Amino acid sequence: MGKQVIKLTVNGRLEEVEAPARRLLCDLLRDDLVLTGTKRGCETGTCGACSVMVDGRLVKSCLMLAVQARGSSVTTVEGLAPAGGLSPLQQCFAAHGGLQCGYCTPGFLMAATALLAENPDPTEAQVREALDGNLCRCTGYAGIVASVLAAAEKLRGH
Amino acid sequence: MSQSTIGRDTPQVTAREKLNGRALYAGDIKQPGMLHARVLRSPYPHARIVRIDTAAARALPGVRLVVTGADTPAKLTGVHRKEHRILAVDIVRHVGEEVAAVVATSEDIARDALDAIEVEYEELPAVLDPDAALAEGALEVHAGMKNRAYEMRIDYGDVEAGFARAAHVYEATYHAHSQYPGYMEPMATVAAMGGDGRLTVWTSTQSVFLARARYAEALEMPVSKVRVIQATTGGGFGGKIVEECNSLITAFLASRLDRPVRLVNNRLDDFQGARASVPERVRLKIGVDADGIIVAKEVEITAECGAYQGLTAHVMYVTAMRSDNMHRIANVRTRAILAYTHNPPRGAFRGFGGQQMGFALNCHMDVLAERLGMDPIELHRRNAIGQGEVSVHGWKIGSTGMLQCLEQVRGAIDWDEKRRRPRDTGLRRRGIGMAAAMHVSGNRTIGNWDGSTVTLKISEDGRATVLTAECDMGQGAYTVLAQICAHELSIPVEHVTVAAPDTDAAAFGIGSLASRVTIVAGNAMVRAAREARDKLIALAAEKLEAAPADLEAVDGCVRLKGVPDHKLTYAELARMHIFRKGGEGLQVRTTWDAPTEQPDPRYFGNVAPAHSFAVQAVEVEVDTETGQVRVVDTFVSDDCGRALNPMAIHGQTAGAVVQAIGWTLYEELQYEGGRLMNGNFADYTMPLARSVPDIRTGIVESNDPTGPLGAKGASETAIVPGAAAIANAVYDAIGVRITALPITPQKVLAALAAQGGAAAPKAQGRHA
Repeated sequence: MGKQVIKLTVNGRLEEVEAPARRLLCDLLRDDLVLTGTKRGCETGTCGACSVMVDGRLVKSCLMLAVQARGSSVTTVEGLAPAGGLSPLQQCFAAHGGLQCGYCTPGFLMAATALLAENPDPTEAQVREALDGNLCRCTGYAGIVASVLAAAEKLRGH
Repeated sequence: MSQSTIGRDTPQVTAREKLNGRALYAGDIKQPGMLHARVLRSPYPHARIVRIDTAAARALPGVRLVVTGADTPAKLTGVHRKEHRILAVDIVRHVGEEVAAVVATSEDIARDALDAIEVEYEELPAVLDPDAALAEGALEVHAGMKNRAYEMRIDYGDVEAGFARAAHVYEATYHAHSQYPGYMEPMATVAAMGGDGRLTVWTSTQSVFLARARYAEALEMPVSKVRVIQATTGGGFGGKIVEECNSLITAFLASRLDRPVRLVNNRLDDFQGARASVPERVRLKIGVDADGIIVAKEVEITAECGAYQGLTAHVMYVTAMRSDNMHRIANVRTRAILAYTHNPPRGAFRGFGGQQMGFALNCHMDVLAERLGMDPIELHRRNAIGQGEVSVHGWKIGSTGMLQCLEQVRGAIDWDEKRRRPRDTGLRRRGIGMAAAMHVSGNRTIGNWDGSTVTLKISEDGRATVLTAECDMGQGAYTVLAQICAHELSIPVEHVTVAAPDTDAAAFGIGSLASRVTIVAGNAMVRAAREARDKLIALAAEKLEAAPADLEAVDGCVRLKGVPDHKLTYAELARMHIFRKGGEGLQVRTTWDAPTEQPDPRYFGNVAPAHSFAVQAVEVEVDTETGQVRVVDTFVSDDCGRALNPMAIHGQTAGAVVQAIGWTLYEELQYEGGRLMNGNFADYTMPLARSVPDIRTGIVESNDPTGPLGAKGASETAIVPGAAAIANAVYDAIGVRITALPITPQKVLAALAAQGGAAAPKAQGRHA
């Protein structure tokens, strides 16, 4: 099978990867670039564990071919904060019980990041609506919703 | 002074790596030369394997190994009954049964190779219904078993006399369906046979030692030649105790290779390979006297284990007798039978059989309360077993917060007011319902040991490292152990490292099941930390020339009471402990074995060191046009003994409640001819953030005398009451009782139609 050269920016760094055309973006991130924070949970775009930002847009990376991200700027969970640090959103997830097993967490962080970029002051209902593309089996969503609301408040400077 | 985190909201000690994407789950592990495996599954519920042709698969470039059942060790294995081969041989007994496996240099090649395997099956008649399976002369799933995997009979007191003197007797049959665990991390394993002939397995598991024993048995290897290391585990909910086959197959494949191999389930693999919960039919007959006291109880259970029994006999055992211990009852007759069928094997699931009976019993209590003209909360109160009492099955109740839970829920949901309001008559009608539950904290039915061993090392920097075999699957096991350790040693929780369980490093342990970690490992942790502290004090006494009684261990130092500057840090003491004649690194190892007993042949005996209780109330809104039931509010009160980490308790409770909402309203494994038709998250609909309300929870602290710092388990109890609380609320809303889960719109509409479309007025008696 013919291989493609894919150039893209991931977490601010230019990357060049040679991969077959059928390579999914999530597999390119996980296997070629060893950014395993992006998870595979369903392969059908329903669980949201593979969510990343592509050119500022929330994308399920298991539904996108890597070649489609050619020339794009991709942000994964590893790019949410400088190495060793945690963003205010990540800190709120820790402090408010926004994670348990952690497997869905990167996806929720990406979805919440996208929400807060668009709407810095969401209501609880808007948070729940925005997290509609992500499944969590551990928290019952209570801790996640509380974390996002707390982060919104923190980011607004209260 | 480092403040203890006990009783305070404490972030998980694993939070940072889970938030920055660096936590390594088994599917993230990549080793030099690592190969990739895929598994071929049976498309038939029952068939003879006539021929398997793997030549084309073997011929693909990059394929390193193709195996079928014939290549696997002949030994049959299983938790109780030895009946299972690593890959099927001659006969497949369920759709999804593992038939062949391939190993290749990439996942893509492995997938292509799987498609190249040709299997010729001769389809055989299948028995897919437990009643059919148990009928005389039925086709047998396993020869000679008559499809009877397990049977139970329990008899106490005089049931006939009890019914004879009852003021009200009510009998009904309930159906509890099977639920997929739905952990977000599909099963994944990496395994490697080392050059020294030892097999190492990194996997997503709730128990490294049960896993090790299983691989060693199936591969006919000495257990000491197998090493199991727990990878970060993305949820378990009982499904990763010891029944899943992903890790077993990977271990087998590695034993045939000289390179590491990884097998990651895709979601369909996981739906087909995971053990979903045990479906059960419960016929319940209860008699109460005029005061509402239960005077007789008769139970008949038909449970289905599917093709292999795994842990399901234990699960049915729990359904059959656990909830009896919640009440002060004397006359019980229980019959339970577990049937084999050609459906996929069922197994352990959070709640472990408790929720199946929790549904039946609490619906039943609601009916009885109505017949008595009594509030259901009052009926539960009157029958609740008390602290210090011994239940009909010999369970010693060391603590119970049941009455406080009932009262807390009553206030929090505004129960009295909402029960009094007239029944809605509009299109959307609201109602409330409640249910109560108990669960064990620890369980001696696993073997005659329900202990836990903790090894605690104080390093040269004065910080602590804890080795345990109890796995953190996301519930926060490491966090609670770190909190206890930090509290007892008076150091910050950040100065405690809990190492991931590794059978080469940790002492034998049973693992994370039966809500046992907080109580058994917590007690071991308390003792280990106190022993380490005593060693630090003894050494400091020598160095400071003081009597140990005059010293105190505070804030990472041992100091002279009243003279805080006269001190030695733990770091100094840890170094002194090594660098002296006959010295050694400061390390203690302690074991706590629960003071419990194995049940006798009548199932009598105090199997658990403590018991947790929970009460839940639910308000629903039923749309009488669409039949849709929506949970608009819920409050759960959990008696966890003492909330060592309230945030973790809240998280466990909220998670369990939503899992129960999913089971009750949305999730239904749909089969056609034994074949799962909805093995994906689009068609098997688990609750989303917007399908549930904010889960409100409350904590009741009964301070168990046996629990570490008073704590009991808190991970499972809250899944038990949900289904009945919702069903009772639906009845309150529309006057219709749904006795077969899930409560789908179709069932609601059918019941409304049967009722004539008009809800009956609320019975006057309920307002008492």
